[in-house]
Amino acid sequence: MASNDEGALWSIFGYLISGLLIWGGIGMALDHWFDKGHHWFTLGGFLLGMGASLYLVWLRFGRE
Amino acid sequence: MGDRVRSFQFSGEGFVPPSTADFNLPPAFGHSEYTTKPVFLVFLSIIVVSAFFIAASRKAAIVPSKLQFAGESIYSFVRHDLGEEIIGHEFMRFVPFLFTLFTFVLTNNVFGIVPFLQFPAMSHVGFPYVLALFSFFIFHAVGIKKQGLGKYLRGIAFMPGVPKFVYILLTPIEIATFFIVRPLTLSLRLFANMFAGHLLLLVFITGGDYMLHDSHTFLKILSPFSFTMGIGMTFFEFMVQCLQAYIITLLTALFIAGALADEH
Amino acid sequence: MHGTLNLVGYGLSAIGPAIATGMIFAAYISGVARQPEARSVLQPLAFLGFALAEALALFGLVLAFVLK
Repeated sequence: MASNDEGALWSIFGYLISGLLIWGGIGMALDHWFDKGHHWFTLGGFLLGMGASLYLVWLRFGRE
Repeated sequence: MGDRVRSFQFSGEGFVPPSTADFNLPPAFGHSEYTTKPVFLVFLSIIVVSAFFIAASRKAAIVPSKLQFAGESIYSFVRHDLGEEIIGHEFMRFVPFLFTLFTFVLTNNVFGIVPFLQFPAMSHVGFPYVLALFSFFIFHAVGIKKQGLGKYLRGIAFMPGVPKFVYILLTPIEIATFFIVRPLTLSLRLFANMFAGHLLLLVFITGGDYMLHDSHTFLKILSPFSFTMGIGMTFFEFMVQCLQAYIITLLTALFIAGALADEH
Repeated sequence: MHGTLNLVGYGLSAIGPAIATGMIFAAYISGVARQPEARSVLQPLAFLGFALAEALALFGLVLAFVLK
């Protein structure tokens, strides 16, 4: 059973990374697109991605 | 590495720490990228693995010889601990792939500390990429074959029991995880461990060599400690190398099991 | 010496999540060792705690590369 735990931990890590990269990347792209000299979309994208991936982890692993 | 060691003795320059340049070995002959040491090591590992297991299984007896026992215990480790325990009743189809992956990666990793070979081919990121591509295609193909393309993709992209609008948030993450991050982390983990391990050994051994040839008596006295650390780190590296071969096989088996078993 | 102070900052900020992850799994292991049948209750909690701590570490990593 311990090996399944390890797989779960790595897939949690994968979810967190891809959430940050996808939504943070979208935020950075928006900032680049509008080019207003601020970076609020980037920050918002990272926070949104982190929140969404934590929610996803809760759905996958925390709901019992 | 031999050139580096010699250059320390004669140049009289300060210590040049090992860097990524030490991993780009010159080609053995010609100017092709395909005649460098890692490529030869990969081919050598194929020969070593094949020869070992042919020799171990050629004269299979009820009372096994030592060679046969070694071969059989590696095989049964992959078959039971990685195949049967994780994949379940359909495991037998995947044992050949898992076994090949495990022995190939293990041999190539251990080449990192075998004297005169001393280079883990997996510290060039191209090799782990190819291995991860193999397991990527295999676990997706298994899932698509088992559940059908539409059902498999729906199982990946849409979590059940979530309000509809949340899918906008979650589906990109799920797709990125399954199709980009998983193969990438699978290969990068192996690459980073082998790369860092080889660099660590280089630091301690070349550092000890530099200190031994320095004019300061103080540094000369300290250099055995660096060599001792290098030897200790070699044993630590052996552990890491076995562990990484195990982990890449384990995660491949877990991905296959997930593709087979996803029924939501 | 070349490099950026961002990575030094990231190294410092990774200490926190590292300690947190260690503490989470220490508590998880000792809980399961005392009461093996509590494993199914403790496991999701440990994984969620791990995810929270790891999210902070990854956030620091991303910011170290993004901030100029």
